[in-house]
Amino acid sequence: MTGLAVDDAAWSSAWRRRSPGDKLLLCGGLVGCALVLPAWPGSVLVGLVAVGLALGPARVPARTFGRAVRLPLAFVTVGALTAVVSVSGDGLGWAPDAASRAASLLGHSVAGGAAVLLLATTTPMSDLLPALRRLRVPAAVVEVASVVYRLLFVLLQSLRTIREAQTARMGHSSLRRSYRSTGVLAAAVLTRSWDRARRMQEGLAGRGMETGLRVLPEVLPSSRAFLATSVTGLAGIVAASVLVP
Amino acid sequence: MHIAEGFLPAGHAVGWTVAAAPFVVHGARAVVKEVRENPESTLLLGAAGAFTFVLSAIKLPSVTGSSSHPTGTGAGAILFRPPVMALLGTVVLLFQALLLAHGGLTTLGANAFAFAVVGPWVGYGTYRLTRWLGGGLLPGVFAGMVLADLATYVTTSLQLALAFPDATTGLAGAAAKFLGVFALTQIPLAIGEGLLGVLLFRVLTVNARPELERLGLLSPAPVPAAGGAA
Repeated sequence: MTGLAVDDAAWSSAWRRRSPGDKLLLCGGLVGCALVLPAWPGSVLVGLVAVGLALGPARVPARTFGRAVRLPLAFVTVGALTAVVSVSGDGLGWAPDAASRAASLLGHSVAGGAAVLLLATTTPMSDLLPALRRLRVPAAVVEVASVVYRLLFVLLQSLRTIREAQTARMGHSSLRRSYRSTGVLAAAVLTRSWDRARRMQEGLAGRGMETGLRVLPEVLPSSRAFLATSVTGLAGIVAASVLVP
Repeated sequence: MHIAEGFLPAGHAVGWTVAAAPFVVHGARAVVKEVRENPESTLLLGAAGAFTFVLSAIKLPSVTGSSSHPTGTGAGAILFRPPVMALLGTVVLLFQALLLAHGGLTTLGANAFAFAVVGPWVGYGTYRLTRWLGGGLLPGVFAGMVLADLATYVTTSLQLALAFPDATTGLAGAAAKFLGVFALTQIPLAIGEGLLGVLLFRVLTVNARPELERLGLLSPAPVPAAGGAA
């Protein structure tokens, strides 16, 4: 357990051993379809396919997927409502096509979000980051991102432990105390992150680190059947969106 | 609050990615140069990125009883400079999109422009200006963090206004709507983030003075005159 539900799901997903490149193609295609195809039927199909694949073959826990899909809904709802409210000299009113525009925005966002989540809940970041190298992202940048990924769980754990200790000592019993405790909490997490980095650097220097953090990449072979099914499915979504009025 | 996946039209998503790219590439070059000269910086930069991610997970106490999260980019820009934050902020946004379902991949460029470019530069510029005008570290940190937070949400509001102009009043009406919903409501939280920054840096000046001196935020404390035999 890492403490982040989406990351936990990715590590235990049935698609964990699939090639990250294969999953990137499928999920990237779905995200692209959700973005450019009309909400009906494009976004609806993308959403159904993403949810179906996540809960079916990828065996992502429905509760984790459902909660993660719901998270951006507050922004999407407020944003969509603001977009379709019309402001004029007479005050506020609805734009002429308010309902269809709001539904379209909601459809694009939920479908795109579900497609991103399909990737996130089946592929740990440590599998995705090496794929960035193939996109010509400099090795140093990928290494820094890998260290961020590995350190953030340690720091999140520190954050929870310190906050729990502060709460037990009445550190959050009033607004004033809560602010003071939160400041101390942020400072403690920052100094711990520096301390961790320094200790890791000393440990690696003692082991002869000179050119960077080199690790053996895990080889996850690509599947032609998976790729063929993905391309066919994506082509089907595009065709259905073009043919259905 | 970042723009959710799929919320921006394709043209806007591409446009903001192109707009953010030079800043992120500049940040990546700064990081590559730093790591080439000092390989051990990889770990310190990684720690800075992880701290920015974790800072955005800290709940900010508020008067109404509800809570929100600091953007953390103002503190990051003051500590590590805006070019580095352009890259680290983008990495943090990618992680937030993939680990927390917060933000998105097609909206990464737009969010990076607001959160990792405009916020840090406005925050750092305000901090430097306050110091130049004679303000101390803590007033500089307060002003920098408040304006970094506000600038991020003003930029997000304007991005949304550009994407969804009002049916009758166009861009101006849309800007008023989105600024009213996403930026005005942020003012108390931005002040809260500024206060958090003051408390954070007050603790750091006591507990991590050598690090702040190394980062150039504080001038080295005068060494007491050595007395007696060496």
